[in-house]
Amino acid sequence: MRTTSLRPIAALISFVALAACGSKAGDPARQYGPDPYLPEPHEYLLPPMSVPKAIGWKAGETPRVAAGVKIEALATGLEHPRTLYTLPNGDILVVESNSPGTEPYRPKDFIAGKVKARAGADAEGGNRITLLRDADGNGKPELRTIFIEHLYSPYGIVLVGDTLYVADTDAILAFNYVPGETQITSPGVKLADLPAGPIDHHWTKSMTASADGTKLYVGVGSNSNITENGMAVEDGRAAIYEVDRLTGAKRIFASGTRNPTSLAFEPQTRQLFAVVNERDEIGPDLVPDYLTSIRQDGFYGWPYSYWGSHVDVRVHPQRPDLVAQAIKPDYALSSHVAPLGLLFSDGQHLSPLFANGAFVSEHGSWDRSPLNGYQVIFVPFVNGRPVGQPIPVVTGFLGEDNETVHGRPVGLALDRSGALLVADDVGNTVWRVSATQPGS
Amino acid sequence: MLAQKPSGESVSSADLPGEPTRRAIGHSRARAPLHRGFIGAGGVLLIAALGTDYAYYTTALWQWANFSAWLITAGLIVTLVAVILMLIDFATGRVARLNMGSFILVTVAALLSLVNAFVHSRDAWTSVVPQGILLSAVSAILLLIAGARGWSLATSRATGERS
Repeated sequence: MRTTSLRPIAALISFVALAACGSKAGDPARQYGPDPYLPEPHEYLLPPMSVPKAIGWKAGETPRVAAGVKIEALATGLEHPRTLYTLPNGDILVVESNSPGTEPYRPKDFIAGKVKARAGADAEGGNRITLLRDADGNGKPELRTIFIEHLYSPYGIVLVGDTLYVADTDAILAFNYVPGETQITSPGVKLADLPAGPIDHHWTKSMTASADGTKLYVGVGSNSNITENGMAVEDGRAAIYEVDRLTGAKRIFASGTRNPTSLAFEPQTRQLFAVVNERDEIGPDLVPDYLTSIRQDGFYGWPYSYWGSHVDVRVHPQRPDLVAQAIKPDYALSSHVAPLGLLFSDGQHLSPLFANGAFVSEHGSWDRSPLNGYQVIFVPFVNGRPVGQPIPVVTGFLGEDNETVHGRPVGLALDRSGALLVADDVGNTVWRVSATQPGS
Repeated sequence: MLAQKPSGESVSSADLPGEPTRRAIGHSRARAPLHRGFIGAGGVLLIAALGTDYAYYTTALWQWANFSAWLITAGLIVTLVAVILMLIDFATGRVARLNMGSFILVTVAALLSLVNAFVHSRDAWTSVVPQGILLSAVSAILLLIAGARGWSLATSRATGERS
């Protein structure tokens, strides 16, 4: 018995050694831009993890901002605010929402649940939209009402004409909106179904509308990290849909986008852009999340490959034919930052620095050490394309010790005065970032 | 159920043939080791994971890999219970010495299965192929040998043990 029992022990030791190597994270600066550094993928017994404990903000505490701008809380005490939207009359809508909740499928899911709870990601969402009215633009709303209630994990929101579209996790709802009203009580009319349960791993349905208002675009995330729940549940997921606004007819506009969490049109070129959350558990520096223009009928790799043609061996059977077509994204945002908000500055000046480009909110990492993200950055654009290194705009969501987190940035919007609004779903706050010198 | 021979000779089925009767005074019944059945139950769960791993390997249907993950987790929990019961067996005099060969077989299989539980916590194909199914196969072979030896990790005083 003695001799046969040695070989498995040797195997055990080699596995543990395998688990230890390759878990050191590099400098995220190498992974911003069109040509990120991509290390070899590793698989782990226990992937590198670092989960800061959610502690919220004490009275008077705020995130930090870049020089020339200031930050204040516009609203506090919200229920997991995710998406922000400014109506034409200046009223601000705050979508308060979280995952509809999923049943554990594997032993691992119990651990994942604990991780989420520590990070403050499992808080109950309000399943509602709150309206904030700050008519005098001083950053202190005079009116706060519950605008729409009884939604089902809502996320995307857009107004076209007099119709307000809200993307619940399972359907687009249309509400008739009268300018100035502060509450909608009539139930929404369903425009189109969206892929949801079972599982609904990535539940958010980001949404925007084309400039002419004829089409809605909806981001639908994958139903797994990397197909571990089977290929059948990925049917129609990890894709960006185009929905006809009048008929509700929908088609897949682009695919292979693992979790397209925010969509926006670049104002100069009218080109659709998305931020996409890439896959986990093959290393602290894989795979970079990205900001990219979305080509009609383009395929962006998931699940078969990442950053163009880098094959992911966890997917079986593989599809070399699709890998060959996979589009390399425009601009890497570094790994595991979890970009959730995308907003073009559209020439509205917080600062001359932010005249032309996109704000991106990075919700923050859990499967990387040291932590990455937990900030709002600005990506400069030239001729409708992202270029150069990003500029941090709002930071300090993490505690000084890097062990605690006060808040995590999600949705972004500009208010009527051009101030940047940031939803914070751990701090349950909407932050308002404005120029120190008004009118500068 | 305990087997009691008509002669009054107190034997648990764990005992090998030829064991002399050494019934403690005051004990009217044989006291079978508590741990043995649980080693068997845990072992069967871990062996079954090889079957579900093989099914996943041939079909790539995710639910098979999912079964494997649960079987390995459950097998480890039941084996842990068995170890606790084995300590109780020692404490209460049900057993007196380790059955070293089987003990090593099951210990190595349990450690490999612990590693395998983490391998199976990976996502999709590589949670099983190649390392997961390899670990399941080695564990299954070790456990089948332990099963053939009767699942007992420890026996009463006088049993001779060949390994």
